Amino acid sequence: MNKELLRIEGLKTYFDTWAGIVKAVDGVDIEVIEGETLGLVGESGSGKSVTALSIMRIVPSPGKIIEGKIIYKEENLLEKSEKALREIRGKEIAYIFQDPSTSLNPVLTIADQLLEVILAHQEISKKEALEKAIELLKLVEIPDPDVKIWNYPHQLSGGMKQRIAIARAIASQPNLLLADEPTTNLDVTIQAQILELMQNLRKRLGMAMILITHDMGVVADIADRITVLYAGRVCESADTKTIFYKAKHPYTQALLTAVPSLALRTDKLKVIPGNIPNLIEPPSGCRFHPRCEYAIEKCTEKIPELIEIEPGHKVACFRALEINLESPLGGAKNN
Amino acid sequence: MEVQKIINKEILEVQNLVKHFPIYTRGIFLKKQVGLIHAVDDISFSIKRGETFGLVGESGCGKTTTARSILYLDQPTSGKINFEGKEIITIFSSKNKEEKQKLRRKIQYVFQNPYASLDPRMTVADIITEPLTIHTSLPKKELYQKLYELLELVGLEPYHAERYPHEFSGGQRQRICIARALAVEPKLLIADEPVASLDVSVRAQILNLLKDLQQKFNTTYLYISHDLSTVRHLCNRVAVMYMGRIVELAETQELFDSPLHPYTKALLSSIPIPDPLAKKSRIILPGEVPSPINPPIGCRFETRCIYKKDQNCIKYPPKLVHIGKGHFVACEKTKKP
Amino acid sequence: MQKILRELIQEKNKTKGASQWNIAWRRFKKNKTALAGFFIIGIIIFMAAFDSLIAPYGPNTIPGFYSGETRAPPSSKYLFGTDYVGHDVFSQVVYGASSALFVGFAAALIVMLLATVVGVVAGFYGGIVDNILMRITEIFLVIPFLLILLVFLKVITALAPSGGGGLFMVTLMIGIFSWAANARIIRGEVLRVKEQEYIEAATALGATKTRIMIRHILPNVLHVIIVLTTLMIATAILVEAGISFLGFGDPNAITWGQQLQKASEAVKEAWWEGVFPGLFITLLVLGFTLLGNGLRDSLDPRLRE
Repeated sequence: MNKELLRIEGLKTYFDTWAGIVKAVDGVDIEVIEGETLGLVGESGSGKSVTALSIMRIVPSPGKIIEGKIIYKEENLLEKSEKALREIRGKEIAYIFQDPSTSLNPVLTIADQLLEVILAHQEISKKEALEKAIELLKLVEIPDPDVKIWNYPHQLSGGMKQRIAIARAIASQPNLLLADEPTTNLDVTIQAQILELMQNLRKRLGMAMILITHDMGVVADIADRITVLYAGRVCESADTKTIFYKAKHPYTQALLTAVPSLALRTDKLKVIPGNIPNLIEPPSGCRFHPRCEYAIEKCTEKIPELIEIEPGHKVACFRALEINLESPLGGAKNN
Repeated sequence: MEVQKIINKEILEVQNLVKHFPIYTRGIFLKKQVGLIHAVDDISFSIKRGETFGLVGESGCGKTTTARSILYLDQPTSGKINFEGKEIITIFSSKNKEEKQKLRRKIQYVFQNPYASLDPRMTVADIITEPLTIHTSLPKKELYQKLYELLELVGLEPYHAERYPHEFSGGQRQRICIARALAVEPKLLIADEPVASLDVSVRAQILNLLKDLQQKFNTTYLYISHDLSTVRHLCNRVAVMYMGRIVELAETQELFDSPLHPYTKALLSSIPIPDPLAKKSRIILPGEVPSPINPPIGCRFETRCIYKKDQNCIKYPPKLVHIGKGHFVACEKTKKP
Repeated sequence: MQKILRELIQEKNKTKGASQWNIAWRRFKKNKTALAGFFIIGIIIFMAAFDSLIAPYGPNTIPGFYSGETRAPPSSKYLFGTDYVGHDVFSQVVYGASSALFVGFAAALIVMLLATVVGVVAGFYGGIVDNILMRITEIFLVIPFLLILLVFLKVITALAPSGGGGLFMVTLMIGIFSWAANARIIRGEVLRVKEQEYIEAATALGATKTRIMIRHILPNVLHVIIVLTTLMIATAILVEAGISFLGFGDPNAITWGQQLQKASEAVKEAWWEGVFPGLFITLLVLGFTLLGNGLRDSLDPRLRE
């Protein structure tokens, strides 16, 4: 049976700023099964990055985890001591940041950065660690690893830097990899390389991955399951095929139709009216209701719960079963 | 007669445009040039009146430099740019203030980053009316009338006029930028990745707005983007750039249906398609873009090309050749079918 | 539906936008140390404005001299005691406030005028103009400023038999010799702003150089100029006190620095003679420094939200 690796329940992470309390993550439920890729999709301000940072408990100040549970291998990470958590960070759960040029230390060589991680979690000699580091560079397909390892980050291109960041993340064979928009700053041809690499590594090392992105194209490609976030809450969660062909939440639907795609050429794009809500005073009831064409009175008053409407398919919408959303991809390929 | 017609059809004509950025090391007194960045290398294209022309390519391919050269924000190294039949590099480099101002009015620019391209200390009213105060001497009343017209045009509310840029979201800011650019009714609007920094749900709004406005004012667009899907949505014709050169140029439909250059093919196949069941025939290019300081001598794409290359590819830069139906390709291999 | 209407009305009511200055003021109000600085400065300005009402004795009277109460300790008659000739120290401190403030504000005005012109012009035009202006600035930076200042003051006093230009001359000299560092900071800020995309956007719109400088660059470096001015006031007050203490000040003016100098002869016997003027120098400088730091925090656009 599929074993659950991580489960987040009712996570709330707030930022206390001078303008007011920003409810960046406001009751998020997520689960990750061992060895799978979960796509965490959302726009800016949806809380996808903050959720990932909360898992590692590295939410930057003034952010604070207010409540919820983060259960990793049957233990609640939020109840662990800082010391116990350090054992988990980097070793059990690793993080890849969006921008490799800022997440790598510019004054250290690649060797230094990799050895730092390897030696922190494994008791081996420096020489062995160096061999291991070169091995890692080979794994992420860096040409001339024994030369490149002595380079500084600025001597490498963006794609190469992201490869180094990946190498650093997988150095101690984590069980869970959190990748926060790992290809957003890269060109499409390089993005294709990196995505393929990540996919291969995940299969080879048998780790689970949470891939955070705003690009539905990226998740369509490599995610097994998808969770869609909007304004700090989960809208819908299902396997990839269901999300693309049988989405039940109007926002998921909108994400699919509002994006110009190579597959379908329309004269005019379908538009989601309005803007992303302010998270200090989020809309009452369902957060999406001001922009939703299906909203009814009830949506403005009550917050919809995330309900399982069929095995493995959860939706947070009062009207999920009444309204009939048609996938822009059509139903043809559905059987 | 015939010639006259052609000139009128083409609003902008770029001929053999070259832009090299010198790299200096700083001495005590004098700067010493140590190299050249070949940002744009001998490109030619023309834009027809009323169409949307797309310039696509990955970062560093020279698409933005091309746009900046047209506006003379960067001084071109060599080449010619004709706008409405006049050579504009000479005008911009001359001391003829009046002519320069006329050009600045006719060609407007929408920047990629709506967060950085609005002065944080000015109100929206001041920002949108700035081009009008520069180029016209409208009395205050008419200026405000025009302002409210523009706000409505781009889908903003009248009360937004008194606010400051930081109070707006990315999409709204881009609307402000578009209103500012349209204030003086330009003939050519250069939009440099206008939706790249916006959220997906807001992107569609701006793309539709651009499309509507074009229909309304018959403005010619030069649309610059790395995102082929938005290019496909908006453009009539597209030029694909790689390392400072145009590798392929064709009508949008033609380019997307039958790309010929290996780079275009790879680029198209690299775009993740939001459909889990779509057939994946992805061409993954080996390696990375070479340094623009020492670009390959022959075909710039030769180092990553998936075709079998020969001496011609390595030694001589391929010419952009017309192969019919307005489709141009710069590749040795595709010339002979 | 009603809900939506209500939101719409709320939205309409918020018509007036909050400029960055409004935001800065909001943040400033929350900054306690800055408010403390503001308060201290306010008290001293009040003291200077109504000095003849506050001071129990006139500026040039020596009440203690006739009654033999020279260097008398603080008492109900002489709040801060008396000095070596019998001046009431409290009155002298009160009268000194206006000189300190005059030197502070006037010197800062001269400094900031010079620094802003040099900084903005050098930063904006760049190239050869920048090179020339910055080399001049560097000359002013490397000369031992206090030493040269003292020499100048000495020469001027020697040339003008009536005792030089007085406090005004001291102020002018401070102004002329301390603009360089500020000019460099302002130039750096101009260079930063000049690279911003909205400046380029203005160029593309056809804005002239003068328009860009006045409408776009200056408003965006203004916050730096304001902060530097506040800190410069503090520096000028301190420098003037130092000059007076060394005996190069205006002998006809009542300044805290001179009171300190006189007091230094008898620190052990009459501590009150020096402690009170010293305390007020410290307070005023502290006030401006706190204000300056508070302004820096609340005006910095990068610290938004």
